Order: sequence, then C-alpha cells, then structure tokens
Amino acid sequence: MRTKLLTLLLLVSVLVTGCATATTQAPAASSIPPTPETIVITSAPQTIVKTVISEVMVTPTPLPNPEAVIQGVEPNAVIKFWTFWLSPTFDQYIKDTIARFNQAYPGVTVNWEDHQATFQDDLKASFAAGNAPDAINLSVSEGWVSDYASQGLLLPLDDKVPQNVKDLYFPGLWNEQLIDGVNYQFPWYQGINVYLINHQIYDQTGLTIDDFPKNWTDLPALCATIKEKTGTLCDIRLTVNDLISQMVYEGNVKPISDDGKSFTFDSADAVAWLQQYVDMVKAGTVDKTVLVTDQDRVGLDLFTSGKAAFYATGPNLIREVRANNPGLYGYLGVVPAPVGKSGVIGKGLMSISINAQTKFPNASIALAQFFTNPKSMLEFSKIVSIYPSTPDSYTDLFFSAAPVAIEDSAKPFAMDAISKYADIVPTIPHKADVNAIVLKHVQDALFNNVPAQQAFTDAVTEANKLLP
Amino acid sequence: MTKKFSLTPYLFLIPALVVIAVFVVYPIFAVLYYSFTDYSIVTPPVWVGLKNYTWLIHDTIFWRSLAHSFVYLLVTPILIVLSVLLAIVVNRKLPGIHLYRALFFIPVISGSIAVGIAWRLMLDTNGIINAILLSVGILKEPMQWLAEPALTLPFCMALTIWLGVGYYMMIFLAGLQNIPEELYDAAMLDGCNSWQKHRFVTIPGLRPQITFVAVISSLAALQVFNEVFTLTGGLGGLLQSAYTVVFYLWQQAFRLSHAGKASAIAMVLLAITLAFSIFNIRLLEKGTEAD
Repeated sequence: MRTKLLTLLLLVSVLVTGCATATTQAPAASSIPPTPETIVITSAPQTIVKTVISEVMVTPTPLPNPEAVIQGVEPNAVIKFWTFWLSPTFDQYIKDTIARFNQAYPGVTVNWEDHQATFQDDLKASFAAGNAPDAINLSVSEGWVSDYASQGLLLPLDDKVPQNVKDLYFPGLWNEQLIDGVNYQFPWYQGINVYLINHQIYDQTGLTIDDFPKNWTDLPALCATIKEKTGTLCDIRLTVNDLISQMVYEGNVKPISDDGKSFTFDSADAVAWLQQYVDMVKAGTVDKTVLVTDQDRVGLDLFTSGKAAFYATGPNLIREVRANNPGLYGYLGVVPAPVGKSGVIGKGLMSISINAQTKFPNASIALAQFFTNPKSMLEFSKIVSIYPSTPDSYTDLFFSAAPVAIEDSAKPFAMDAISKYADIVPTIPHKADVNAIVLKHVQDALFNNVPAQQAFTDAVTEANKLLP
Repeated sequence: MTKKFSLTPYLFLIPALVVIAVFVVYPIFAVLYYSFTDYSIVTPPVWVGLKNYTWLIHDTIFWRSLAHSFVYLLVTPILIVLSVLLAIVVNRKLPGIHLYRALFFIPVISGSIAVGIAWRLMLDTNGIINAILLSVGILKEPMQWLAEPALTLPFCMALTIWLGVGYYMMIFLAGLQNIPEELYDAAMLDGCNSWQKHRFVTIPGLRPQITFVAVISSLAALQVFNEVFTLTGGLGGLLQSAYTVVFYLWQQAFRLSHAGKASAIAMVLLAITLAFSIFNIRLLEKGTEAD
C-alpha cells in the first residue's frame, strides 16, 4: 500500500513537472505582451523566460528571427527550389537549412529537388513548360546566370533586396555577371582555384611543390618536364563552353569593342593565348580529349584514377578523390592556381537566382538569401571545403584554425582570395553562339594546323555577323 | 450486295490511334511549325519563315554531319553479314549453344550508354587497348585513340555494330529456324556443298528478315546519337569528326538553344529517312519478286 502511494505520488509529480515544462517551452502562439514582472532574454532561435518577482507565467513574444531579413514574404507561399548536384551527399544539410528557413519564415513551403547531369536540359524544359523552379542554383563560372538572365528568365535583384542585405556579400561577388548593370544572383558557395597534385607522379620530375608555376604562362614548361620524366600527359581542360572568359582571365584578352559593335578577340593577346595551347598540343604534352571536353568530370576522373600529375579544381572535389581512389588521397598536395595575365585570380562559382515568373518573388528571394546568409554558408563550409560568399562567415574560429586535412589547405587564404574575385568579362551578345564559333576555330588551330592568327581572324569575322 | 459498315473495329483502333496522334503525329507537326520559327525553348517561338532552312543550306557543319550520317550507313551491310553468319553458327544443336546465344545477346541488353563508357575507358590513353598494344610492342607510346579525328567515327560505328549484332542475330536465328529442313535435304541431294546450301537456301529464306533488318538498322544508323555522345564525351569528336545529323540537331537544340534550327534539321532528317525507307523496301521487295 505504501509502495503504491509512493508510486502514485511520483507519477503525479512527473506529470505536473512535465506540464510546467511544456508551458514554459511552448512557442509564442498568442500576442500577450510581457508583463513588468517578466524579463525575456532572447537568444535566437531559443527564448528563455526568467521569472523575477511574481509566479505569473506569460507566453513570450520572440524577437524577430535575425535571419529573417526579407520583408513581405507571401503567406503560405509554396516554392520550388532546384539545386545542382548536391544530393545525396548534402541532403541532411539542405533539409536542416530548409527547416531553419521555416522557423525564420513560417508558413512557406519549400519543395527541394536536386538535378545532376541533366540539370540544364531539365531547366530549359521546365521553362518551356511554364513550371520552372522559383529558386534555382546556377553556376556563375559556366556562364549560366548570364545565359538565362539575358533571355529575361531571371528576376533582377538590385531593387528588390535591401542594401543592408546586399552588404552581407563580397561586393565583387554581388556585382559579377551583371547584365546591363543589373544583378540576377545571390552569390552562394565559392571555390578556391587550386591545383591538386599527385605526388606519386609529380615528385618523379624532381620538382618540389614550391616549384609549381605561379603564372599560367609557365605551365607549358612544366608539362614538357612531366612528359619527359614520367611519360604522362598534362590533365588540362579548356572551358569549351566559355572560351571567351578563359581567354580574358588567362590571356588578358579584350573580347569586344567598347561600343559593343565588333569582336576583338583576334588581337595579339588572343593569339598569344591560343598559341600557348597550340604549342602544348604540338609538343604532345597534354591529353587532347581532356583539353576540349565540356565535362569537368572527364578531367577529374583522369586525375582521380591516378594517371595525371595535377588537375585544376576546387578543394571541395577532393572528396571525390578520397571516395573513388582512397589510395591516392595520401599522395595529394594542393597549390594555388597559377595566375593568368589578367592578374585576376578567379570568379564566383555558384549562385542562387530567382525565376522571373515566380508567383512568390519575396518568398523565393528569402529562400535564396537564407541559403546564402553567413550562418548557412558557415555551416556548409564545415561539412565540405567550400567557401562562403559572405565576409562575416570568416570571423568564425573554423576559418582561423590551422588546417589539418588536405581539404582545408586553402582555408587560411580563402577570404583574401575570394574578396578579390571579380567578373572581368564584359557582356557578350549571343554568348553561346560566339563561344561555339570560337571553339570551332580554336580546334582548327589546335588540331588542324590552322595558324592561331588565322583561326581567330576567321572566328571574329563569323562572330561579327551575329552583331546588329 | 453492299457490305454493312461496322464501327467495332474502329473502336478497337482508337487507343492506338490516340497514342500515335499524341506521340507521333502531333510532335511531327509541332516540329514542322517550330522549323519556321526562332525558338530558344525557354522563350516563345517567333515566326521567321524559311530562315532556318536557308541557314541550313549554307551551314558547312550540317553538310559535314549529313555526310557522316551517310558514311554511318556502312554499318548496315556489315551488321547484316555478321549477324547472318553468327546466326548460322549458333543455329546448331550443340551442347551449350544457348550459352553462346546469350553471350552474343548481352551487349544488346547492356545499354548503349554503359557500353559506350566502357569502350571509352578501353580506348583511353591509359586504357586496356594501349596497354595490350604497348605490351606486345606494336606501340612505342600510348595513342590517344579518341583524339584522332580520322578514327573517331569508325570507333563509333564499331560500337554500333558490336551493340547491334546480337539483336539482329536473334532475328536471323528465328528466320533460320523457319526454313524447312527439307529444302536443305533437297539441296544436298542436288549436290550442293555447304556454301551453296546457304547461297541458294538460307539467304533466299532469310530475305524477309534481311529486308526488316536493312530498314531498321539503316534508320538507326541515320539517327545515331548515343555512341557519338558517349565515346566523344559530348564533344562530337575533335574537329567535328564524329558529328552526325542527330548529334548536330541535339547540339543546336540543347547546347545552343536553337530549337528552331534543330527543328529544321529534324524535318530534313525526316524527309531523308522517309525516302530512304521507301527506297529500301521497294528495292528489297523487287528482289523478293525476282526470286
């Protein structure tokens, strides 16, 4: 009997305690203002209520979520968000971030889809069908933002995003890929341009990692040495979908006249840029199939298979090497990418843009901004070697800590490097067509013995026909 | 006596006609319309009249692609000869013959993309082909096989043949098993040797299958895409060396967003394949009548 009574008392006390706890932690459903007897200490996203004088419990009103920086988000908005090649590795991160977004902007439903090799085809088909996603992860480096924006498919952001929000990003990243002076993208995760070194091959040359070229013009000599000492070919890839950009960064080429009425990539700078590749092809020091493939994976796969001395990529793709060839991982080295004649070390990698036809522009902007805000970027950086587009993220200890893993090698200089990223390529009309023309004539020079000057003269003549 | 009209057969045809109308007839007319427009897929089409066809006439890459597609037709006679030979070989009652038939059929069910990637790896600079040729001393240094413009298209054709031979072999095998044994007995009594039996019994007996294979394999050859795409990594070969009409169509539509131009290419291809099929069938039917 005594035991039963004790058990009953214990049960009642547990129930009472549980109810009290539930009352204290309940989210603010009503708008009862805090009484003078109650002090509310807010440390978003958690709210702590501390009772000072009376025993009266009042449901607190939380302060605005500091991550909810976009006003006028449409109530009950349902938005579709497409990412590029992030699933399944980052499923948890994406889901967690969407959950945090839902706390910041309650009532918005986000339907996330990840698209991979067919991303571009899927996206074009969805625009054609009128059911394109509201928020879209687009590559800046591949020129996707400018492609879609120039066709009027993306929402201009400059007048829709408050200045204090724009100021969260590195100015060079916010202002890159402008179309007629207007920005269409939230800068998302960035890569540091590095070269991965395979010490198993590279060390056979007798060179040290410090001897790796600092300038792009020194690569041919290195490739000749590698071919001579190791018999392997250089794993170098032209950005065949955007050769114009590559010649601007590497060769400091001016691609179009100031008035935009004629192309100028037949200059001495352009010819010198092309001649460097022609010389490497003639010397037989580069893998020709990798050189002109439009798929970065082809070059990465060659490196990952352990058959190339180096490859230009980002530290984020070291995970591919580790996953697919763990034996090579222990032989990896990382060096900063050689700088081209332009002196600009790189441009942005990924962004999130908004569909111009979205029914929920503010909710979509809010989502794009949320995924690219300093906190989300920092969390993302902690799980993969990408770098935030927001200076505030770098104040975290995570970035000041000494690198341990090879993937973290770029952490100490990442902020400095990314702050200098800039898009120095002017707006190119009919960019895809011009790049296709350039590719055709560049191939003539590389593989068909057409002199570099002749190839570019022909290309400019053909490209000029596209201009009004 | 007048025959009474019956609606019943037409009702049975409706499901098939609906499917054909939606997935064949409508797309053909839609593509015909788009071929007269400037259409980037993502923005509405704008009528431009014959501009795309004029562009096509003057486009050197289109003519090169068309020439490559006609060269690709060489796979048809090679496929027929190889698959008839294979069918004759496996049309024997030998122990384990089913295993051989299955082995020859494996490439068909493997999928062209997977096989294309496997071939690409084999032909890679560090692939098994180079390894073998280097080990036996035929090569002194590895070749970049797929970076040789003269070899890219032949490699694609070889892949098509390798992929298709098992399928066509099965068709011919079915045909062989329908040829009455008595015909071979009669030929033997007439003093025919082995070659003559095939020349005068097997080949005429397989003529319906040969007609069928000639038509479908040549149409497939004119529409080849997967092999070119996978072997060249989406590039179409250095110097457009493996561009075919469909590859060029795909590039215009999905790489350059010129769906109008791509539609014009599609209409030209439709006309060619239609004419080719009619010619092919007539020619082979003529041969059948002559027999």
